[in-house]
Amino acid sequence: MSYIEELTTALGKEKVLVDPAERFVYGADWSPRTPDEFFPPDVVILPRTTRDVQRTIKVAYEHGIPVTAGGGLTGMLGGAVPLFKGIYIDTTTMNSVVEVDSKNQTIRVQAGATLQEVNDAVHPYDLWLPHQPESKWVSTVGSAIACDNDSTFGVRYGKILNCLLSAEIVTGTGEVLELGHRKAHFTSSGYKLKDLLAGSEGTLGVITEATLKLEPIPATRRVDMLVFPRLGAAVDYLSRLLKAGLCIEAAHINCKRRLKFYTQTYKQKYGKDPEIPAWGEALLAISFAGDKGVVDFQRDEAVRLSKEFEAQLVEERELVDSWWTSKYTLEFEPFKQKWPDSQTKKKFGAADPGVPVGRLEEFYHKFVEIAEKHRLDIIGMNAYLEHPNSIGFSLSCAVYVDYRDADEVKRFREYHDELSKMAISFEGTMSTFMSDTHQKAPYLELEHGASLRHMREIKRLFDPKGILNPGKKFPREESP
Amino acid sequence: MNNTLDEFKEELETCFGTSCGFCERGCPVYQTMKVKTLCMKGRNRTMLGLLQGKFDITPAVVQAAFECTLCGNCDRWCSLKNTEHTRAFREYLLKHGYEPMKEHASLAASLKNYGNPWFQPRSARNKWTKGLNIPKAAPGAQDVLFFAGCTSAVMKPLVPSLVAGAKLLQRAGVRFATLGQDEPCCGSTLLRVGQTEAYEDIAKKNVERFEALGVKRIVTACPGCYTTLKKSLQDHGSKIEVVHITKEIADLVRSGKLKVKRSTERMTYHDPCHLGRLGGVFEEPRDILRAIAPLAEMPNHGMESRCCGAGAGLQSAFPKLSRDLAAKRIAEATSTGATTLVTCCPFCETQLRTVPGIKVADLMELLLSSVENGEKGNDRPAPGKT
Repeated sequence: MSYIEELTTALGKEKVLVDPAERFVYGADWSPRTPDEFFPPDVVILPRTTRDVQRTIKVAYEHGIPVTAGGGLTGMLGGAVPLFKGIYIDTTTMNSVVEVDSKNQTIRVQAGATLQEVNDAVHPYDLWLPHQPESKWVSTVGSAIACDNDSTFGVRYGKILNCLLSAEIVTGTGEVLELGHRKAHFTSSGYKLKDLLAGSEGTLGVITEATLKLEPIPATRRVDMLVFPRLGAAVDYLSRLLKAGLCIEAAHINCKRRLKFYTQTYKQKYGKDPEIPAWGEALLAISFAGDKGVVDFQRDEAVRLSKEFEAQLVEERELVDSWWTSKYTLEFEPFKQKWPDSQTKKKFGAADPGVPVGRLEEFYHKFVEIAEKHRLDIIGMNAYLEHPNSIGFSLSCAVYVDYRDADEVKRFREYHDELSKMAISFEGTMSTFMSDTHQKAPYLELEHGASLRHMREIKRLFDPKGILNPGKKFPREESP
Repeated sequence: MNNTLDEFKEELETCFGTSCGFCERGCPVYQTMKVKTLCMKGRNRTMLGLLQGKFDITPAVVQAAFECTLCGNCDRWCSLKNTEHTRAFREYLLKHGYEPMKEHASLAASLKNYGNPWFQPRSARNKWTKGLNIPKAAPGAQDVLFFAGCTSAVMKPLVPSLVAGAKLLQRAGVRFATLGQDEPCCGSTLLRVGQTEAYEDIAKKNVERFEALGVKRIVTACPGCYTTLKKSLQDHGSKIEVVHITKEIADLVRSGKLKVKRSTERMTYHDPCHLGRLGGVFEEPRDILRAIAPLAEMPNHGMESRCCGAGAGLQSAFPKLSRDLAAKRIAEATSTGATTLVTCCPFCETQLRTVPGIKVADLMELLLSSVENGEKGNDRPAPGKT
């Protein structure tokens, strides 16, 4: 009996897709690639339960078949693309809410629930999951953990790991494990295996359920933008706000080029890009949230302190609202989202390095230099504060990619690799929100040195046959 | 005019390039089936793969093309013409050797033989006008043509809504005529199931006929006819205006010309896709309903409204899926605490009545009843069926 027949027997044919058209659509994600660059799996599984995932992986383990699990397929670097075919587990069929514990401010969900579905479920309790990437409508809980993507509200609440209390996984042998500390917010007990899941890209196990910490929904929010003469001045300013004790909810530094990408509604309304002062090099978008009096006080204090940094408050609310809509509410007028409009000819492509906070400006110039060297149109740089009450940021260094042009896609990948390696030379990291995928796998040793050997050992413990998402993090020939 | 699938290839590539998947959240079929080929992102990829020759026409390709109500929710968040892609996808399959689904072939056969998709004799089309003294349209004799539409005219349970609409227009002093039993089908069904050439033939004849009659405005109570006639007239460069009856009536209600007996019963409103999202008419039916009773909106309403499951041949070819969609909509309606679900589309009405749980009422019937009660001082319960 073939492994696909075994899967059909174990799961029932309605959960096993073998039609070439159905498999085809799972062969690509959001990352820049030419329209014929699809990697369809051999079979797609639509599980409903952890048991379904376990049965699938047991069959895969027995036959040594690759298993890639995915959610919304909005990864920016191919993390959930089944490069080596085999089995694709579409976790979005597992999107049930297991428990909302409003008293303890937690939710237990199946990993295929989208972040929006989680928020829809907890909204009646006046709670929310503040992990909010722009892809929240389709990004699933499991994918958010496995990719370790970023969040609009990172500076207050952190990334998904700050919300993750516990997770259930199915390992590469088909063993079901619960990693974490149930509903307790932290632990000093044992090794923190749960933390290994953040950015694991499904290489240690398929995440099937998660317990997430929720937060009370703030009553009010105020969003502002400030123009700075230098990127470094915006960083210094944010440091000053934190020193002052202000509780910032969101803080995003845009270089002036990048702003244009986020102001589609402004453009629709006025037929032109927004104007910022000629001296402006950076635009900081910042929000405060909570009770009105507290928010007003903090916002006024932030505006007062901005004068020490030669910053200018953006008075044009349309510009601020346009940016915020693009970033958070996604409710574009007239009911159109920005991406297809701006990406008819070329699409957004990015590298996601992390550099020491004092070297942002220096790195920005390297980004421009490397993008120009690879003959790519620059969208711009964004620095998102992603660590609670701290200045640490992730970087999105974005360019347009003509995805119909194979040579330009190739140049984009070279640009991505060069910038990632440059970040290491800056005493930083290659990745802050996309993970490694296959793209960074060949040079992971550059970043991790001798410790990479131990990472391989960890991988072997969870996935002895190396069937889970092969080619990601480690080139396939190096997979255990 | 209607683009072919090949002409949409660049858009399909743009969707591939973008790959945001924002269309998944509001797609009633995808949210029920959870198979990626059945949401627009996956469907666009399927069309692209087909055009690239990556696979042939397989059962899943056919399913991707036809398991969709063309409700337009995927266009809600996207600048691509997704609903048009799907229509062109169906046309492509039929042109490349795929035989029409037997249910769709049957609708088309009835249309050819009887002028309506429901195997009803042409004479049945005019029965609803009995006793209403509506003149038959003649060249130059009228400005306004009332277009009944096949479904409301020949399906007995729907006739009262048509009668109510006509009576309300008469009360409002609108002088109109109908085509009686010669009224043609608007061609909506053919257009939606991919039989584009047959639709275009009907559309051309219809426009010529309307022009020959010298009408200036067509009023219809059927949202499907509304969008289809608008498209036909626009495609052929006609200046004849098409309005949905709720637009015609809403002003009379707003101005107080129609005396309405208001109910205290809480009601909710279902936006027919062809009237709301695809037709742009949201406020007029609500204004009418608010005059009749307190309105409790469903969580998904207006542009976000979810399809009832009847459209684009889904009801006939995929009855179980179609009913599942209706059940979701009924559950949403009951969650509002309303006792009546009001709509103004013959397809939505029929479809939503297949699932028990809430009384389903037609807006025109409800309004006429409220007006009559208002005039008589009666306090009769609102019409409707569960």
